Amino acid sequence: MIKDELLRSMNEAIVAGDKAAAVALAADAVRSGADLLEVIEKGFVTGLQKVGELWEQGDYFLPELISSAEAMKVAMAVLEPELNRKKIEARTGGKVVIGTVEGDIHDIGKNLVASMLQAGGFEVFDLGADVKLERFVEKAEAVGARIICLSALLTTTMTNQKRLIGLLRDRGLRDKYKVLVGGAPASRKWADEIGADGYAENAVAAVKLVRTIAGRD
Amino acid sequence: MTLPLLDLVKTRTVLLDGAMGTELMARGLPQGTVPEAWNVERPGLIQEIHGEYFAAGADVVLTNSFGGSALKLAGYGLGDRTYELNLAAARLAREIAPAGRYVAGSMGPTGKFLKPQGEFTEEDFAAAYAEQARGLSDGGADVLLVETQYDLREALAAVRGARSVSSLPVFVTMTFNSFPRGYFTLMGDTVARSAAELEKEGVGAVGANCTLNSEQMVGCVRALRETTALPIIAQANAGQPVIGQDGRVGYSQGLEDYVRFVPEIVRAGAGFVGGCCGTNPSFIRAMAQIINPFDTPV
Repeated sequence: MIKDELLRSMNEAIVAGDKAAAVALAADAVRSGADLLEVIEKGFVTGLQKVGELWEQGDYFLPELISSAEAMKVAMAVLEPELNRKKIEARTGGKVVIGTVEGDIHDIGKNLVASMLQAGGFEVFDLGADVKLERFVEKAEAVGARIICLSALLTTTMTNQKRLIGLLRDRGLRDKYKVLVGGAPASRKWADEIGADGYAENAVAAVKLVRTIAGRD
Repeated sequence: MTLPLLDLVKTRTVLLDGAMGTELMARGLPQGTVPEAWNVERPGLIQEIHGEYFAAGADVVLTNSFGGSALKLAGYGLGDRTYELNLAAARLAREIAPAGRYVAGSMGPTGKFLKPQGEFTEEDFAAAYAEQARGLSDGGADVLLVETQYDLREALAAVRGARSVSSLPVFVTMTFNSFPRGYFTLMGDTVARSAAELEKEGVGAVGANCTLNSEQMVGCVRALRETTALPIIAQANAGQPVIGQDGRVGYSQGLEDYVRFVPEIVRAGAGFVGGCCGTNPSFIRAMAQIINPFDTPV
């Protein structure tokens, strides 16, 4: 069990966007042999959740969001090699292809989901942002992924989530993959409307959703 | 001899145009096509849109150059055509403008981040905007309108860039979101600080555009009026984009509801009024009746 004060420090490092502290705490966690998934979910991720609340309240803006995301990224950079090293013992959740749809360059949320899925034991193929729809299909086919995660932040690009599902259908591949959607304009209603297999509101919910869906296979 | 815009606004409320992007999309602009390319490939369509806004009663149209900064165009491999595309944008509007009407050179955000969030410096941004401003100025714009800015640092760099190559008046509109604590840009800039810094930088008019609907814009204009004596510009959204059943994008604030708040926007202190996303010539026609009821559009 990790001490509450350590978890709180991790939370605070993310909220403060303090990269140095985040790295140091992550390195300490590795050195002390702590349960790294607990470190991530109860420590660092709770900081991200707080940042999300502050953004919604209008207390945090883009610069703060970015520096918090950067702090999370450097913490994950310390933790990921360790998680990969232990992968044989940790649960392997399967392969996931993720990216922000074509026409859309927003990627902070998508990057968080990718990092956290990786932390959660999935093999993640992050295609980046502004990804042509064919590439999602090509990659999933090539690596044998079963789950495709699509992010879109603009109302004008979220239709590409619908188009990707259409593309899979046209190629007779719809049943082969689970398609999950996310991003600010998306919703459960939108996911149902376009025939997606699921929707998640934030990175934490996304990991839970992927776990549930992967667990069903 | 046409009165300079900054003098005209002292005598009456000046009407700007409405959205360009949605008008282009309605005319078939394919997703992924750079709108500014149509200044050269489909000049007739661009002039048709400007013509409709003038006919609706707009005193000023904004050029089809919103994404025309060198940095934004570079993302599409068109950076070396910055001057050409902006020159064309301004020329098209100038050509179609009836006597006594005006052309504002639209300069939207680069879409990039300044350090430390991104890799660019204020000097990089100033240079990107300067190249754009040269084209717009040479093409015949009456004023330059740096718009839809969500980062005060970028807006200030844009003003510096524009003024380094052109003696045209520079106007700036920022995009504010409405929060419980007040109006802030995405980067956290307040109305007060934005107006004060822009005024210091020498802009001729300051204001807000995009995101806020016309009802929310009233409060934003009031906040601006409390900070600055400069003429104020207000271009509200017709609400937020929503996807219809047919997959097409519509906007959540209808014309009647939008126009209802225009008198308040003017009373709150706006000297320049127009529309942003989701508005079209019918919005402008309705606004013309309200703003200058005794002037018949030409």
